[in-house]
Amino acid sequence: MLEEITMTRRTFLKVAAVTGAAVAMSAPTVGSLIEADPAFAASPTQKNKVKTTCHGCIQACPCIVTLEDGVAVWLEGDPQAPLNKGSLCLKGLNQLHTVYSPRRVLHPMKLAGPRGSNKWEKISWDEAITLAATQITTTIDKYGPYSFFATVGGGGAYSFMQALTFPSAFGAPTTFEPGCAQCYLPRYAMAQYMYGGDNQSIADNSCVEPWNEYKKATKVLVLWAAQPGVSQTSESGRAIAELRARGCKTVVIDPHFSPDAAKADVWLPIRPATDGALALSWFRYIFENTLYDQEFTKYWTNLPFFINPDTKLPYEAKEVWPDYVAKTPANTPVYVCYDNKTKSLKPFAFSLPKKSAVDPEIFATAKINGKQAKTAGQIYKEAADPYTLEKTGEICWLDPKKIEAAIRTYTDTDVAGIANGVALDQTPISSQTPLGLMGLDMIMGYVNKPGVTLTQQGPTSVPKTRPVTFHNCFGGLLSMMWGVGAGVGMSPEENAARIAAFPDKATQKWQLKLFEDRLGIRNHKGLFSWNHSHIPSVLDAIRTGKPYKPRVWFDMSGNKLAMLGNAKSWYEVIPEIDFISGQYPMMTSFQVEACDLVFPIQEWLEWAGVPMAQMNYQFMTTPVIHLGETVSNGLPAQKVLDKAGEIWGKKMPPYLIGGEESQEAVNQAAVATFGAKSWDDLLANQDKYVPKVVPDEQYWLYGQHLAIVDDGLPAGFGTESRKCEVYASLLIKMGRTGYPFTYPKELPPSENGDYSPICQHIEPAESPLTDTEYPLVLTSGRLPYFHHGTMRHAAFSREICPVPPVNINPKTASKHGIKNDDWVTISSRRGEITSRAYLTEGLNPGVIWMERFWNPEAFDSSQKKIDGGWTQCNVNILTKNTAPFNEVFGSYTNRGFTVKIAKADGPPPNIWTEAKQFEPFMPTLQNEPNTKWVF
Amino acid sequence: MHNCLVIDLDRCSGCHSCEVHCKMQNKIDLGVYWNKVLIVGPTGTFPDIEQYALPMQCQQCADAPCVKVCPTGASYRDKKTNIVLINKAVCFGCRYCMMACPYGVRWYNEAEKVVEKCTLCPQLTSAGEKPACVHNCCTGARSYGDLDDPNSDVSQVIAAAGAENVHSLPDEGNHPSTHYILRQETATWRES
Repeated sequence: MLEEITMTRRTFLKVAAVTGAAVAMSAPTVGSLIEADPAFAASPTQKNKVKTTCHGCIQACPCIVTLEDGVAVWLEGDPQAPLNKGSLCLKGLNQLHTVYSPRRVLHPMKLAGPRGSNKWEKISWDEAITLAATQITTTIDKYGPYSFFATVGGGGAYSFMQALTFPSAFGAPTTFEPGCAQCYLPRYAMAQYMYGGDNQSIADNSCVEPWNEYKKATKVLVLWAAQPGVSQTSESGRAIAELRARGCKTVVIDPHFSPDAAKADVWLPIRPATDGALALSWFRYIFENTLYDQEFTKYWTNLPFFINPDTKLPYEAKEVWPDYVAKTPANTPVYVCYDNKTKSLKPFAFSLPKKSAVDPEIFATAKINGKQAKTAGQIYKEAADPYTLEKTGEICWLDPKKIEAAIRTYTDTDVAGIANGVALDQTPISSQTPLGLMGLDMIMGYVNKPGVTLTQQGPTSVPKTRPVTFHNCFGGLLSMMWGVGAGVGMSPEENAARIAAFPDKATQKWQLKLFEDRLGIRNHKGLFSWNHSHIPSVLDAIRTGKPYKPRVWFDMSGNKLAMLGNAKSWYEVIPEIDFISGQYPMMTSFQVEACDLVFPIQEWLEWAGVPMAQMNYQFMTTPVIHLGETVSNGLPAQKVLDKAGEIWGKKMPPYLIGGEESQEAVNQAAVATFGAKSWDDLLANQDKYVPKVVPDEQYWLYGQHLAIVDDGLPAGFGTESRKCEVYASLLIKMGRTGYPFTYPKELPPSENGDYSPICQHIEPAESPLTDTEYPLVLTSGRLPYFHHGTMRHAAFSREICPVPPVNINPKTASKHGIKNDDWVTISSRRGEITSRAYLTEGLNPGVIWMERFWNPEAFDSSQKKIDGGWTQCNVNILTKNTAPFNEVFGSYTNRGFTVKIAKADGPPPNIWTEAKQFEPFMPTLQNEPNTKWVF
Repeated sequence: MHNCLVIDLDRCSGCHSCEVHCKMQNKIDLGVYWNKVLIVGPTGTFPDIEQYALPMQCQQCADAPCVKVCPTGASYRDKKTNIVLINKAVCFGCRYCMMACPYGVRWYNEAEKVVEKCTLCPQLTSAGEKPACVHNCCTGARSYGDLDDPNSDVSQVIAAAGAENVHSLPDEGNHPSTHYILRQETATWRES
């Protein structure tokens, strides 16, 4: 506690009066003073401050909570935080309303009417756990373990690890979240495949170097489909404001004139989902004008390697010269290049550039083993060749001169970097675009240097041995647990030995079987990076029962009907599911329309959690208050798993990661992290212990690939070639066999052929170029008032944004007789929604833009007839969850599909449009006692 | 002493967080905004457009029309800080001041039958803290301090910006003292 002030309520009133406070610090205290009886007024007010971290979005701003008599009354940013610097955005601040919202679910609730009735019966925790476990075990007994499935996501909750492992513990392969292939997995995984390192995502805290204030180096930042000023308002939003203020230039690539676009040096309002073409034009221009970093491209990328036209994999030297004996270790193959020194094909052994025997040519063609072969660089160059500035301008609806200005801003400086965003994941080109964007940074040599985005931090980032990347979830978590998957960077012998040495053969075999049977995995093997199922394939399986029918659903977060693409297709299969358990701090459309049982979950002011980092600073997540019988995200899964074991009379496999520990254990972990004597000591002396800081000089490290490791070679990167694989040859192996995830087992090849190892442009399946019935292209994005599916019940966000505006260019609007603030229907081939028009020049006339949304007021008790609030203004009524999917990850089309608009008669039913209507969402639970944890 | 806000619109992203902090700090009703963020633009024709956000609150006029028209003296200027304030105990809700204010930043409190507006959070500043909107501004755009003190945050921000980049809302003879910083590179300052 930072401070503890004890004063009587009466003296507090006096103090407030003296300070001239027309309005005192908190309504509960002061409001009650006016009519208070003398005894109450004389009783002491305990006021104290506690440090914790906000969890209003996926970044986590350190903040300070002020409590009065145990009630959280004020939130503010922690001035010690290096990024938010004392600020906190409205999403964070909304917690004061959300945690005390009349919408909170404080006890386990069992459905007491038909689904959709929103009638609930309060039951005990024991009853709730028994009910869920009985439903699961009974169904599994009858239909087998594949009838069970679990999900997360869609609400900004943090049950990620549970989703990976909870179904596996039951012997079930099915798990998904609406994000994953549609959010971050492609950009995360592609960085792992291409160089085994951190990626270009700002939102996911992977790209932090531009915010480095110890060495302020970034001169140009390209925000490609990202808007940190909106999505992560007080953390990266603050950081980018500081970056611009110190003179860094920005290029913004976004169809929508976002706040970051408004401040950009160059804004490219690209046609949605044509980013592959734009990236290829950058490659073409950079190759043609020799703007790339020649040394880095030659020696640290795989572009000089000759590619076997049959296998699409790089030739190894021993394939060309059978007698060739490599001097590098077996985990570091020698490839083939054209050597400019000797004007001949030569083995290209891995070494520091200055020690290389060859001067490799990047762009070359040669006859190898009787076949005409090209270098990876030549393949890329030819693929990019059609994308001249003019042609790309036509495809992407951009001015060629602006494209050139953007490229020149990026290349004509010594330090720049690309930061990518979620929009790229929400289209079927979710693998091709990050391939291109990371490839660009790689050929520019913007890797592991001060000021670039592809960097690694901290002492552990400097390798001591040849880097190896395990791809089965973060750091190869599942490889370690289940003894499956190859380490990329290990030799075939090393991998074989590792698998052979894993002691639990039954688990190995069982998990590989679950891998093989995962829905949709055959065609989209990149999903193995997070061990998820392909969502449209799960939907098909529920609908058709083929190849097996998921029947019992355990959902661990949020509003699936607001977050899943083509929500109606999901609503239609809800009757096919025998029993649905949900959990969330409050009821959403999904709980109302689908769930049979709801577990009460904590809001973040109640969490005891792991320390959260801002760069090299660690801050506490402190349980500040606690209401009712709420629990943390991981607890219900663990309790249900334990109960299922009890019912079956067996011990369940210990796979569940992130399952609940006792409050004491969580507290003790924090005590250890911050080096306090005890929990009480830590809480009482937060100022002393928090934050914990890694010194700047130990954190901001560079040139990791140049460090000489134990084999006498430079470390290089965690790929097969030990180089940045701009030509991502791992994708070729992956699509054909499941390597490295399913090693030692080979899965059948993808039915759609090989995955592209380089960037591509694919015209969207629903294209405004050819669609006459639905002539406009829709894309979406965040507004700063909400995160994911959260906060639509937060009155102070809703009064700013009661209805998600649909942005339309005035030219387009006038064709339809639409004026500003008119009600408009937006229709796609999947459905129709209604919203209010915002006419803006900040959008191409061929594009419309809208935030996804749902309306919790639709089931407010004041409504004559309730509904789940997911049909009125929800962009996911329109989105497309059918093929074509992204080949690697199975991503469907959340953005960049076609729609039409028309003027509507009025608002849709059951929604609120005016500020005062949101009064029923104002907080009411401040008088709830702070309770002890349930478990 | 002349305390007021200076807001750097080159930094401001229009996130509305200051608006919500103000409302939470000052317990303001739904539909009432002592501080409200406006978006100016986009102006121009796609794709050659510009835009900036403009947080609006009491402009702390040097010659405040609200003080002049107030029949009861409820609208007054604090002698020490020169901040324009409302003494709610004296206000009887005639709302003349709301009509007199050129910027529409005064609001009627239906429950208390009085007029309210931005106070610059004396409950915080008197304890050495910054107003809620300044402390929590997500982009570091807001500063608060004494315009008469060359070493104050606000004076330093104004000096660093250069005179050509410092603006105020249109002056009808009321001399608004809140300053906005906006460079031409970000957007053209609009006088309407």
